[in-house]
Amino acid sequence: MSDHNTQHSHEEHEHHEGGFFSKYVFSMDHKMIARQFLITGIIMGTIGMLMSIIFRMQLAYPDMKMPFLEGIIGHWGKDGKLDPNFYLALITIHGTIMVFYVLTAGLSGTFSNLLIPLQVGARDMASPFMNMLSYWFFFLSSVVLLLSLFVDGGPASAGWTVYPPLSALPQAIPGSGTGMTMWLIAMVLFIASALLGGINYIATVLNMRTKGMKMTRLPLTIWAFLVTAILGLLSFPVLLGGSLLLIFDRSFGTSFYMSEIVAEFAGGIERTGGSPILFQHLFWFLGHPEVYIILLPALGITSEVIATNSRKPIFGYRAMIASILAIGILSFIVWGHHMFITGMNPFLGSVFMLGTLIIAVPSAVKTFNYLATLWQGDLKLTPAMMFAIGLVSFFITGGLTGIYLGNAALDINLHDTYFVVAHFHLVMGSAAIFGMMSGIYHWYPKLFGRMMNETAGHIHFWLTIISAYCVFFPMHFMGLAGVPRRYYANTAYDQFNVFVDMNQFITIAAILGALAQLIFLVNFFYSIFKGKRSPQNPWNSNTLEWTAPVEHLHGNWPGEIPHVYRWAYDYSKPGAQEDFIPQNVPDAGQTDPNEEATGLPATH
Amino acid sequence: MKILNLLSKITFLIAILCSFGLNLSAQTADEGKTLFNANCTACHAINDKVVGPALKDVHKRREEAWLLKWIKNSQALIKSGDATAVQLYKENNNVLMTSFETLSDNQIKSIVAYVKAESEAPAAAVVASVAPTAASSATQTNWESIINYLLLLIGILLIAIISLVFKILARIGDIQGKPVINWNSVNAILMILFLVIGMGAAFWEFYAHGKLTVFNQGPASEHGAEYDNMFMITFALTGVVFVITQVLLFWYGFKYKSDGKRKALFYPDNHKIEMWWTIVPAIVLTVLVIRGLITWNHMMYKKEDNARKIEIFAYQFGWNARYAGTDNKLGAHNFREVGKVNALGVDTNDVNSYDDIITNELHLEVNQPIDIAFRAKDVIHSALMPHFRVQMNVVPGLPTKFSFKPTLTTAEMRKKLGKPEFDYILLCNKICGSAHYRMKMLIVVDTKEEYQKWLNTQSVLVAGKVAPKAVAIK
Repeated sequence: MSDHNTQHSHEEHEHHEGGFFSKYVFSMDHKMIARQFLITGIIMGTIGMLMSIIFRMQLAYPDMKMPFLEGIIGHWGKDGKLDPNFYLALITIHGTIMVFYVLTAGLSGTFSNLLIPLQVGARDMASPFMNMLSYWFFFLSSVVLLLSLFVDGGPASAGWTVYPPLSALPQAIPGSGTGMTMWLIAMVLFIASALLGGINYIATVLNMRTKGMKMTRLPLTIWAFLVTAILGLLSFPVLLGGSLLLIFDRSFGTSFYMSEIVAEFAGGIERTGGSPILFQHLFWFLGHPEVYIILLPALGITSEVIATNSRKPIFGYRAMIASILAIGILSFIVWGHHMFITGMNPFLGSVFMLGTLIIAVPSAVKTFNYLATLWQGDLKLTPAMMFAIGLVSFFITGGLTGIYLGNAALDINLHDTYFVVAHFHLVMGSAAIFGMMSGIYHWYPKLFGRMMNETAGHIHFWLTIISAYCVFFPMHFMGLAGVPRRYYANTAYDQFNVFVDMNQFITIAAILGALAQLIFLVNFFYSIFKGKRSPQNPWNSNTLEWTAPVEHLHGNWPGEIPHVYRWAYDYSKPGAQEDFIPQNVPDAGQTDPNEEATGLPATH
Repeated sequence: MKILNLLSKITFLIAILCSFGLNLSAQTADEGKTLFNANCTACHAINDKVVGPALKDVHKRREEAWLLKWIKNSQALIKSGDATAVQLYKENNNVLMTSFETLSDNQIKSIVAYVKAESEAPAAAVVASVAPTAASSATQTNWESIINYLLLLIGILLIAIISLVFKILARIGDIQGKPVINWNSVNAILMILFLVIGMGAAFWEFYAHGKLTVFNQGPASEHGAEYDNMFMITFALTGVVFVITQVLLFWYGFKYKSDGKRKALFYPDNHKIEMWWTIVPAIVLTVLVIRGLITWNHMMYKKEDNARKIEIFAYQFGWNARYAGTDNKLGAHNFREVGKVNALGVDTNDVNSYDDIITNELHLEVNQPIDIAFRAKDVIHSALMPHFRVQMNVVPGLPTKFSFKPTLTTAEMRKKLGKPEFDYILLCNKICGSAHYRMKMLIVVDTKEEYQKWLNTQSVLVAGKVAPKAVAIK
């Protein structure tokens, strides 16, 4: 096995000397693909963030003319006023980009690719070719989505959830024309990418672990990536089906999702017999697991970063795995909590409510385990650690409001208000972004062989956490006052217009938050070329990726793949000289990797 | 500023002078005003562009015959290739204007008369009364934009300075052989500051903005009391958990920062603790689930025998209400007839529909249970009535319903809040297009007498025909 792997690595290595294209562009090396996912994700994230600044300006200053808008968005900002249609387009594309392109592909794509082979001890993914395809489908999908910004009528504008009939009928809104078609094409490409990646991750974790790497010795990152990939594999095809039916409705005159729509409004064909709610079921059957597809990798990264930087084993390793699995399974039976007030049978609402609130139990266990890991630790407060702590804070704040929204009764008045906006931006948006940032700061030395500037990292952290709370915390109160989301302005409502000061505060905080990301962007791109060279194991971590050389080689390890003798969390083990024992270090007298390591290493 | 004040006074005088010559076509303009407010304000205003263009002087820009055609069916006019129509459509980013086929020629003419009246003399009045504030807000706006640009500039400068400082610090660190700032200590202190200031800010928020929420106002419906109770229980529980966990998180972050002397405690698990913190949240959530289910079932399975039937109809971008009349039965409807015979497509041959009443406002009688049936014309809308703790999606082709009982009249609520201008509203809460943000309907909760009085001023769908007695009796 190892012979074969070594040989394989040499072949690949020689092959890759080939040229610029096969090394940087059409690379099949998982580390290069991870970088490609990350950089594409960062670019998409920057675009998504800038969009949010434009619509935040509109919400804060609904009566002000902003002449610079015309320079940025052309005729959509005629006379310095943002067009209401383009406002809807912006929020739609902002949501789509952030949920799918940044937090799914950018987060899971980057770290699953980087860490799965390195942490399980494999030369590469099970199918490097499929892995390459996965990136390029994602890239194409990003291009299609961005191009849709420039078509006649503008991009999709029905919200990122694209509920028909609004999204199905070009007559309904300008954005439901070509822009919507391109959105759907982008989504189909994206799903292809997610599936190709997911199959690969699962196959690699299950089949290509090195000797001694039992499932119960896997770092929690890998457990999180594995469950994430399974969730994606089971739920993305449903959205694919849903999208295809929507394409049929739009282009071929079917009416899967429409009922009682007259011909004049429906492109000349009367639409009867379908159900708009059917689309919502299909969409949220992906949409809810999607939340955990986003969150679980972030939680996995946090587990690893918190354990390493607390110099302590993660508290309750098996309970953490159990809660990841429980969250994964439960996430499939709760999608209906997005639809409590669609008019579906109230009994069905009860069932979805039960499932939703049960998810709070494994989530609570995870939170308590993080706190217990910090307790009596020896905390190295690196930027990665700070972002991990920030994640836990957001996870608590945003998670608790989930208990309101998961309650069918309470959802009646809170549904689709700013309370929801606050909730998911904290628990899914901010928490997952913080997980991603934590991962970037922690594994940057592995990704680029250099260190990021630490001071800049800390400043980035503090500005980001402060601005994120300033942006999203006040929104709860707008929601409790009944302010609906996706409103272009609140000027038509006296009782909502009192929030104009709050909206201005939020917008200023959002602009400051965006500027803080500039620090990150400069740090990130500057350090790729000019950062300090990284030592092999900068954080004194136990996991296998730090046993590989700093320079990227195809095949990851120059010699044999290291064997694994222990779990990933032997930090500060009593009696050991160092406060960490890497997974590839055997105990005194331990020869078989599968034997449990109970004592201490011989020479360490 | 003095000059501005003087100017506004002069315009005000002119406005008063002009308004004397106004009352000529007051009758039609009055009718037009009502119609305008009911049908047009979602997308149009006289002086400002909203979703559609500003309507000031529209009678000068367009022929009356063209306006009639356009308002009744803009889509057909565009399709016929009318140059003005096509250009207008393009100018407005290909957004179609809602067709108002049910408006009669005279009604449209009265709307135009109202717009004309508003465009001429009262326009000055509007300017005059708004002028002082408009003038000051204009200067304010300018300042705001200047401040914004300045902020941007300062931000850029700050970044430049900060990056310079980094470089210097890194240099010094390299020379000294250890980093200048000990981030471990700085972060630990910042965490405590963040915790204290953050918690303070959060509590300040509850104080300052909690007042503005509908929960502070109290419910205006019967089930609202139970709803608010559920809300408060959840709020208390989550509030406690929020404070405890956040304090622990940042406190541990501060307390256990590395000082280079201590070794961390090797403490991989403790099954007893883990069991407890699985069971306790499970019990708490069970309580919440049971309470929640009870509340939910009370709200959803409400059945009152004497409930009054009302239909709420949603379209891009407005609402209608239909009252069942004395027989308390809503007449049949057909989606193909919407906007043809009447705005809601109600079958006028159905005996049940004779006494139905279609309105632009939702009037409810206090303490009278109602069953609302929702229907949409085009896309999904959602009827949110936050003061009543009521919301239901309005889905084309899929009937939905909600039953509740209002308990406070508009007058009572105004008194309670001390806001004489307060009104209940129903607003659209599902993204439905460009004027989504203005799609609302006024709700008035009346006493029994006021309600009857209002109802008597409304006209029934088929005047002169009375439903056979047999139908009226249940």
